[in-house]
Amino acid sequence: MNGAMETVGLVLVIAGCVFYAAGTIGLLRFPDVYSRLHALTKADNQGLLLVCLGLAVLAGSVQVAFLLIVVWSVGLVAAAVSAHLIARHARHAGEPHASRETER
Amino acid sequence: MTVGVVVDMMLGLALVALSLRVVTGGSLFRDIVLFILFGLLVALSWARLGAPDLALAEAAIGAGLTGALMLMAYRSIGADTEERPVRRRPGVALVVAVLTGSLVAVIGLAALGIERVPDAAGDAVLEALPGTGLGNAVTGVLLVFRGLDTMLEMAVLLVALLGAWTVLGDARPGRVHRVDRRTPLVGSLLTVVAPITLLVAVHLLLAGTDAPGGAFQAGAVLTGCGVLMVLTGTLRPTAVAGFATRLLVVAGLAAFVLVGAGAGFVGHAPMTLTGTWAVYLIETAMMLSIALTMTLLFARARGLRGEGS
Repeated sequence: MNGAMETVGLVLVIAGCVFYAAGTIGLLRFPDVYSRLHALTKADNQGLLLVCLGLAVLAGSVQVAFLLIVVWSVGLVAAAVSAHLIARHARHAGEPHASRETER
Repeated sequence: MTVGVVVDMMLGLALVALSLRVVTGGSLFRDIVLFILFGLLVALSWARLGAPDLALAEAAIGAGLTGALMLMAYRSIGADTEERPVRRRPGVALVVAVLTGSLVAVIGLAALGIERVPDAAGDAVLEALPGTGLGNAVTGVLLVFRGLDTMLEMAVLLVALLGAWTVLGDARPGRVHRVDRRTPLVGSLLTVVAPITLLVAVHLLLAGTDAPGGAFQAGAVLTGCGVLMVLTGTLRPTAVAGFATRLLVVAGLAAFVLVGAGAGFVGHAPMTLTGTWAVYLIETAMMLSIALTMTLLFARARGLRGEGS
């Protein structure tokens, strides 16, 4: 039982890390601000959720699990607002849009 | 164990590499961002070293607030220096590098040669801690065993603010680049985050007696709330410090002095804290002073007023 829980927790944490890695690759490789933000926020929020879930399973305590949910929610709020503000600023500053440029 | 060592080595290498990038980077803005990242990695290192109090303080003050202050400073000078590459002087840099390198080497070599002293202060603190009624050795050291140091730290913070006010002179309070609160999500961010930061600050303050936390961490988190409120225009900088502002700014130092002097009057040794109530009182006052001082420094103001008033 204990070993099984540990395995589940570790798999979740590692899966979260894979999402983080994907988000980071997206940040480095994607062509413009908007798609980079897309990669960062979506992948990282998912990664954070999986890491938090994994840690909650590993901790095996309801209190810790609850706190990790709070951590994830606050992370979500921060990511959503900062991504929105960056995208908004970029749009107002006339930041080019990669796909539109290639169409031209 | 081995995984831990690998993580620690990666952290150490990343710290060295980052610090190199910070001082040799091309643009001011990137240097600031890298410096914030550096602070976060330092916080992680403290956590790895088993010093959660320091990790919290470094993350909140070193990475968070210092970063916010530097970005604010960049904003006020950045417009015309943005694209101009920073001029480097290789000769001066070499001299500085050699000197600091030798200093670090000497200290490092000396540290390697140090043997554990049997009656070190740390052991004495841990032995005497139960008598203080505090469960957190860091808080015990900060407030009881080395209380005078902490009191003087509050004095340093106060002097820093007075210095900033002097430099500010009669100038109008700095124009803070604000985000309109009607911008989608920003208003709701404030509604959600402000109560949470308050809760976290008070929790850190109360937890500080028995667990990692305390006035500095709580004050830094509260400052985060203040910075957010200044940035969204909920708090507006003013050119004059009101009575309440002055009172709150000196509260930390004043609480320390009054409690310490009071203990002297009722027959204890001066600067004795006669109970955990004194710790709570001083920590609360320190938290408020730290938060207000840092928020004022961020807003480049002498006072703050609400949006409507």
